[in-house]
Amino acid sequence: MTQYDPLKRALTDQSAAIIMPAFNEQASITQLVERIKECSNRPIWVIDDFSTDATAKYATDAGARVIRLPEQLGAWAATQTGLRAAHRENMACVVTMDADGQHDPADIERLMAPIISGTADVVIGSCPERGSRLRHLAWWLMRLASGLSCNDLTSGYRALNDKAIALMAGPSANHLEYQDIGVLLMFERAQLRIVEVPVQMPNRADGKSRIFSSWLAVIHYMAQTLILGASKRRRPTVKFRKSSTRS
Amino acid sequence: MFVGAVTGVFGLSVALLLLYLVRKDHLHVSHGLWWTIAILLFATLGFAPSIFDQLAHHLGVNYAPVLGISLAIGALVIKALMSDLESTKLKVSQQRLIQKVSLLEADLQELSEKPPIDD
Repeated sequence: MTQYDPLKRALTDQSAAIIMPAFNEQASITQLVERIKECSNRPIWVIDDFSTDATAKYATDAGARVIRLPEQLGAWAATQTGLRAAHRENMACVVTMDADGQHDPADIERLMAPIISGTADVVIGSCPERGSRLRHLAWWLMRLASGLSCNDLTSGYRALNDKAIALMAGPSANHLEYQDIGVLLMFERAQLRIVEVPVQMPNRADGKSRIFSSWLAVIHYMAQTLILGASKRRRPTVKFRKSSTRS
Repeated sequence: MFVGAVTGVFGLSVALLLLYLVRKDHLHVSHGLWWTIAILLFATLGFAPSIFDQLAHHLGVNYAPVLGISLAIGALVIKALMSDLESTKLKVSQQRLIQKVSLLEADLQELSEKPPIDD
């Protein structure tokens, strides 16, 4: 009898999927899905976050499977919907990526490689060079508050194995607003092996960020993220060594 | 004495309003319970403010109304916190249901697009 090995299943095209949350991306979704199809044979799942334009139709026409949310939940909850679908369908691996063209589909298989080889549970497509000085200051503060050591804390370009998928599909992950440090802290707490793979990330085509849309939004995001990081950071493990001799 | 009667009548009126809201299904009975206890306490203390004076005296509080205000603020903070806990629970539950609906709708869509099974 052959023993079931979930990692080996990732070698087959249909046991891994590419998950993309999308909100009003009709201008770029067709091109992006076409480009992904050139780079990978994995099924593409677009989670339409209650778009008001024709994102869902364009994605379907381009050949993606579309899951439409009946209400807008935000990028993380949309991604999690895809992860719940992946968990239900016993996927061995998924790659999550943004639909705004920031993530190059050419890196998909590179991100999946450590999962397939069994050397990592989570792979982060990392590009710490990107962003302004302000973003780097924000990352430094986030690292300080959370105790995380990753170089790229906010990258949504990640590959997850079945263990990480199961963790993210659970209700605990519904408490998170964003896909950054809260998710990484959950991975760390579950003692999953995290690996960073360097990737290139060009600036967004429209140059706009959904999170950093205004200064008020930045302050709100940073306050929430820092509170989350400080409250969920892992306590340092204190090891007591027994002395063999008495003074 | 007049102030006591006013607060007492006010407390009783709000208690009656709560009963009405529960009766008309505008307020869940679990919330109604908390407010009923709080308002009845408020009304009792309104009708007999001397209870507060004696309690303040026993607790070593020189100015009795401060004790009442502090207790009221404490009770309101606890209530606000309980509301937020409840709201968090509901938000998670609602979000998971929305996700589930979207997955089921996608399944349904895929099933309806598939050709019928041949006998």
